[in-house]
Amino acid sequence: MHSKFSFFVTVFFTTSFSIFRMKVHEKLLTHYLSCTSPVDKEGYLNKKKMRTATFQRRWFVLKANLLFYQERPADRHLLGVIVLEGCAVRCLAAEEQFAFSLVFGPGLKTYTFAAENRQAQESWVEALMSASHCYLSLLVKNLEREYEEAKQQHGCRAASSSSSALSLSMNRISLAVPGPSVDVREWRSFSASAVLQAPLASTKAATKKSPKLWSRRNAYVTPLNGPALPYGEWSMQEFSQLHDYYGQEVERVREEWLKSKRVEDDTSEEDLIDLG
Amino acid sequence: MRFNEKEMVSLSRQPSEMAAELGMRGPKKGDVVKRRLVKLVVNFLFYFRIDEEEPIGALLLEQCRVEKEDKQTFSIAFLDEAERKYVFECDSEDQCKEWIDAIIKASYEFMRKNLIFYRTEIHRLTGKDPLEQYGISDEARFQVSNGLQALPRESSSL
Repeated sequence: MHSKFSFFVTVFFTTSFSIFRMKVHEKLLTHYLSCTSPVDKEGYLNKKKMRTATFQRRWFVLKANLLFYQERPADRHLLGVIVLEGCAVRCLAAEEQFAFSLVFGPGLKTYTFAAENRQAQESWVEALMSASHCYLSLLVKNLEREYEEAKQQHGCRAASSSSSALSLSMNRISLAVPGPSVDVREWRSFSASAVLQAPLASTKAATKKSPKLWSRRNAYVTPLNGPALPYGEWSMQEFSQLHDYYGQEVERVREEWLKSKRVEDDTSEEDLIDLG
Repeated sequence: MRFNEKEMVSLSRQPSEMAAELGMRGPKKGDVVKRRLVKLVVNFLFYFRIDEEEPIGALLLEQCRVEKEDKQTFSIAFLDEAERKYVFECDSEDQCKEWIDAIIKASYEFMRKNLIFYRTEIHRLTGKDPLEQYGISDEARFQVSNGLQALPRESSSL
């Protein structure tokens, strides 16, 4: 009798709250976390709990396109994982200091975090912006093309150093490239992620961009069993052009922000980047 | 363990070149072959009951071994447990080869290694770092040393 009752209660609650859980094979995720593949970034962040709007300190580990979190570094129990595909990374200044968000789009989650200082905030934002599989896929395709071209043009010339010496010199290359601001990367992760939200991109440049390019991205919303679209449609030219185009806008905005940053004190109420 | 399920379901609905009905058998003794819609999106293998819109599962395709079992069958072994395999039955040998190839190339670590290779080679051939134009030369994840060892732990502020 008792077991029948509890079964009924379980079924009732299950259907009431529609708890359908896709099996995500936790063991595979935890195994990947603990294996020897590179950790791309790790550290403490405060994670906002949506329901209560409070922040909880968690230890985060970024590996590939997966953001794992647990209470402390030594913990064996993994609290959760966030798959970083189809999200934009945004800096926030509104509520908590050094805050930033992962925005998945309409109807989907927004995760909000707060870092301990400006440097950590910037560092995390940069790391998360280049984390998606789609982004890496695009990069690899472009580099593959460049490699083929380089082989044809330069391949006949014998290399003067051994490849191991060159890999050392690669590590020592310190290119003083100012990191592109959030906006350029926001574009990248959106366009590369096939989850399109062109209107969300809040730069003025968005309105100037030819609609033709973006409506093609809209075509990614296809029925499940429909014909599959080619995965990486972007040509290197488009990618570089977009990068240059937004890069200029971004440099200008960044200049303005840096100027205003020197004037203001740290408790600014405005967005880090004033997009007008 | 929590994960962003809704967002993963949304991801599973993205277009993919590798989506097909295959026979799928789980790794446990007694698991039988079931017809599933298997779909490769980024480094996840999603599988759906036929004609259902939401996947019933997602397999992370990292640290796994893909092998041809026979003409039309391939397997994926996880967790270094060579005996615990997921088996997939295809309709043709070509399809089988296509899937094996696609799954291997879908791994993030595989792609990272390729990127590092191309970066090194392009620099060797041209004297230029190809990541400079994207402003990501200093990103930890693209460093040449990455393919060889884990990065040192960042000092955590307690």
